[in-house]
Amino acid sequence: MSTLRELQADLRAALLGGPQGPAAAAVREDGLAAEARLAIYRHHVLATLTDVLKATYPVICRLVDERFFAYAADRYIRRHPPTRPCLFEYGGPFADFLETFPPCRHLAYLPDVARLEWAMNVAEHAGDVVTLDGRALRSVETADIPRLRFIFDPSLALLASPWPIDRIWRANQPDAADGTVDLAAGGARLEVRRVVDDVVFRSLEPAPWAFRSALAAGRALEAAAAAALTLDAGFDLAGALRELLADGVLTAFTLPPEESTS
Amino acid sequence: MDTGIGLRAPHVVEILAARPPIAWLEVHAENYMGGGAALRDLEALRLEYPLSVHGVGLSLGSADGIDGGHLHRLRALVDRLQPCLVSEHLSWSIASGVYLNHLLPLPYTDESLTLLARHVDQAQTALRRRLLIENPSSYLRFRQSPIPEAEFLAALAQRTGCGLLCDVNNVYVTAHNFGLDPGRYLMALPAAAVGEIHLAGHSVNDADGRPILIDDHGSRVADEVWTLYARARERFATTPALIEWDTNIPPLAVLLGEAATADAITHDVARRGPGVYAA
Repeated sequence: MSTLRELQADLRAALLGGPQGPAAAAVREDGLAAEARLAIYRHHVLATLTDVLKATYPVICRLVDERFFAYAADRYIRRHPPTRPCLFEYGGPFADFLETFPPCRHLAYLPDVARLEWAMNVAEHAGDVVTLDGRALRSVETADIPRLRFIFDPSLALLASPWPIDRIWRANQPDAADGTVDLAAGGARLEVRRVVDDVVFRSLEPAPWAFRSALAAGRALEAAAAAALTLDAGFDLAGALRELLADGVLTAFTLPPEESTS
Repeated sequence: MDTGIGLRAPHVVEILAARPPIAWLEVHAENYMGGGAALRDLEALRLEYPLSVHGVGLSLGSADGIDGGHLHRLRALVDRLQPCLVSEHLSWSIASGVYLNHLLPLPYTDESLTLLARHVDQAQTALRRRLLIENPSSYLRFRQSPIPEAEFLAALAQRTGCGLLCDVNNVYVTAHNFGLDPGRYLMALPAAAVGEIHLAGHSVNDADGRPILIDDHGSRVADEVWTLYARARERFATTPALIEWDTNIPPLAVLLGEAATADAITHDVARRGPGVYAA
């Protein structure tokens, strides 16, 4: 007789499309084949997880059509089943999966559109935080300012793509007036975040995008400013810092010891 | 207490704006483990309506043990919302780190009972409160499963002090799918342990020419389930009941109509006394 652990491992394999035999052997038929009984569960698992992916990636679903999406989702779910019960956290690697999924390799912009949809999903569910009050920075000595590092609102993401993913996203909303996008229109540098209840994204110029990206990656203010200045010699650091505080995207600052400044 | 409804996202705005009379609300714990509007709206609603938290992801029947991180998140949510009831399922969903997004069936053996009792103890200790454990809908059972489900639940309640959530639709679906008597199932549950009743719709599916009932929470409560509910009411006279609806979610008024139907049956059974629906 199999132990519970072995039985659950057999069922796990069967429900994700693996071999049915070992799980079926443990099932009492009661007038219906064990495989048919397992299929009821397998169908539910795949259908509900496909619905979760569809809800997180509505633009991808629209771009590739629903049938192809269901096919891609089926492959994705078998390869990357959820590891945790909170399903709003499910589906993060879908963009990477699409990048290597042979049937959609010709849609080169698809993975970056998926990254935008995932960032919006993360923003929607990110934990609530208290915004950093700029007055707290008054206590920082002038000489220490270059070493400042910031913690960002967890709803914020900075994305860059060679494709106009913002236009693609907007053109594929249910209420979009014009569904055409010029793929040669150029790339996008976006900031995604939740403002009160609404998930929004906006386009940033290269220098401010590089500045915020460096800070969000945990780099010091001096290094972030340098990254921006290489793109725009006229980058206004004081103005950019004021904007960061005014936008309410920071939650805390740290002043690590000097030697670790980079 | 009159019949409550499961709170679903499409109804939140309407309930917040109109504050209709609803006896109580129940939410799925896993939908509120992030931040943002969902949790904030729920915090507003819980000031107006009694709230129950219904977990679907704890996987109490996992041979691998309970995911401590998930139990911690559940505890944080329960601490924050202070619900009047907290419930989970007699099932498992996680094996070797994979979450299968289904309330999967267990073999009812001594091994399972020992494991379930240990996990229910662990969860009740962490949450510092009594859990209600719900009977699942099943579409298969195992060759090696000698303990009847209702007796298994009774033993679990006796060992751990947990309460039970009697899902009347699940009793009906499981009994139908295995040719069992749902009335006998109800009689085998320890009435004193039953702390909540669930009601929902099911669908009738064809599996190789044989009707299999699927617990999809996508329609009105079936007539046969209302009849069984009346019998349940004879045993669990004052237990709070809840209408669940999760797929093809209808307007709020339809859910409230189902809750009113449940109330009418409850009051009818109370007025006529036991025995009327026993046949």
